[in-house]
Order: sequence, then C-alpha cells, then structure tokens
Amino acid sequence: MNREAPAHLAVTRDDFPYRLQVPTRWGDNDMLGHLNNVVYHRIIETVVVRFTLDRLGVDWQADAAYPVSVDSRCRFHRQLSFPETVEAALRIAKIGNTSVTFDLALFGEDEEVPAATGHFVHVYIDRDGQQATPLPTSVREILENLA
Amino acid sequence: MADGLLETRDAYRHFLDIQTRWADNDLYGHVNNVTFYSYFDTVINRYLIDAGGLDIQDGRVVGYAVETMCRFHRPVAYPEALQAGLRIGQLGTSSARYEVGIFADGDDAAVADGHFVHVFVDREAGRPVPIPDGIRQALERLLVADEAAA
Repeated sequence: MNREAPAHLAVTRDDFPYRLQVPTRWGDNDMLGHLNNVVYHRIIETVVVRFTLDRLGVDWQADAAYPVSVDSRCRFHRQLSFPETVEAALRIAKIGNTSVTFDLALFGEDEEVPAATGHFVHVYIDRDGQQATPLPTSVREILENLA
Repeated sequence: MADGLLETRDAYRHFLDIQTRWADNDLYGHVNNVTFYSYFDTVINRYLIDAGGLDIQDGRVVGYAVETMCRFHRPVAYPEALQAGLRIGQLGTSSARYEVGIFADGDDAAVADGHFVHVFVDREAGRPVPIPDGIRQALERLLVADEAAA
C-alpha cells in the first residue's frame, strides 16, 4: 500500500520559510473524533492562499494573471483534533514557467513531526484568455528568493 | 491537465449522483478545489455503507484516510449536477485504494480525478485489522487492474 512512502516525515518546522497558525473548529472533527480528511486540505489551501496574498502580493480581483489549483495531495501520518491549533508550514518545491508547486506540512501543538505532509500546485491563468500564462515577474522573483 | 490523458466514465465501476450546492462555489465562481475531496468522501462512504454494510455509528471497524490526492482538469460550478465514478485500484489485507473521477452531466471526460487510501482499523484499539468480509466483497466488485503502476 505504501509504495509512495512519506519520504519527508523527517521534516521539521525549520525546513519551511512560511508558517501560519490555524485554529481548528468544533465542526472540523468528524464522527471519528479527529479532523476530517477534507479539513486538512482546507488548512493547506488556507496557508497557500495567505502566502499568495501576503507574500506574493497577488490581487485575485484585479491582476491580469491569477492562480488556480490544478493538483493537490495530502498524506495523513497522525491525527489532529479540535481544539488544537495547527501550524501549517509551506516551502517552494518547484517553480515552473506557468506554475508553482508548494510542499506543505501540518504540525500539531507541541509536535516536532508533521501530522500530515502534502503538495499543492498553482497554475497562473490569464484573466482574459483563460489560458495558462507565465508567472508574473514580481511573483517569480519572490518565489526564487524563497526557494 | 499536466498529464494530458483524461479519465473517462468507462474506467469506473460505480457511480453516485452528486448535487452541487450554492456554497460549493468559491470567489472564482467555481466549485472550490477542497470541495472535491468531500465528494470523494461522499461516494466512498456511501458505497461502503450501501454495498459493504459499513456501520458508521457502531461498527467495530472504521476507515482512516492515509492519503488523498486530486488533479483538477476543468472548473465546474453550482448548480451543475455531477457524477462521482468509483473503482478500486489496490486492495490489501487492511487497506484499499479508491480511485475517483468526477464527471459533469453529459461529459465523458473527468473534470477531476484522484485517489483516496483507506486503512481499516479497530475502532477501540486504533490498530489496522483485516477488511471485514462484507466490505471486502463489495470492494472486490470494483477492483480493476492497477493502472497507476503503468
């Protein structure tokens, strides 16, 4: 089953240049008493979006190019549960011509080993043409500085 | 999108109608990427309950997600009606790999596809256990050759 073994379970918070504290909510737990698998993806989306807004300076409403998700993955190593606050950690895995791939890790409170790891791919789309378009220069520069 | 080849309906063995909801659309006016994973959850658990007899309230065995992934090929939006296609790519002693395709009404090519790996565990002990017979038989009916290895 585990042919795609979690190669980067060994990562720690220090491996990630951008981290966000994400409080969990009562309704995030499912009937098994821990965060539903879908919620992990919601937290991953949240850190990617906050990074894109706050660090890359992307304006979703106005910019000529904006990002859409084309691929994501999460591996669940350990359970997270409300009411803990999750630390969502992001680093740049790959910068393409029109896309950027982020590596992500979710850490539980006081945990050194990630509870989940994954990736998330953004492709930049031309607002008018709805076609993939090269990363904006300013976005690329910031990404390259962090990679 | 990146891989070029789109999954089609004939690659799946079971289908469930998914009615999108108003709140599934995000600021872009499309079904949000994370919402697709709730469609995965829905088709898988409905199949386990309906065909496999999974008792989500009191059953001794529960399924834990260990990995999920999705590739998004084109946007869909509320109020579209969707169908989720399901097949089993791998069946182990205590684990199953479901492969899911999401289809828009009338389209043969998936708008998104991905996979979901469950490990079945004892509810009390939290340790992996063999898949119960009823569930295993239901999953075997959807088993296809492991094309992910190709």
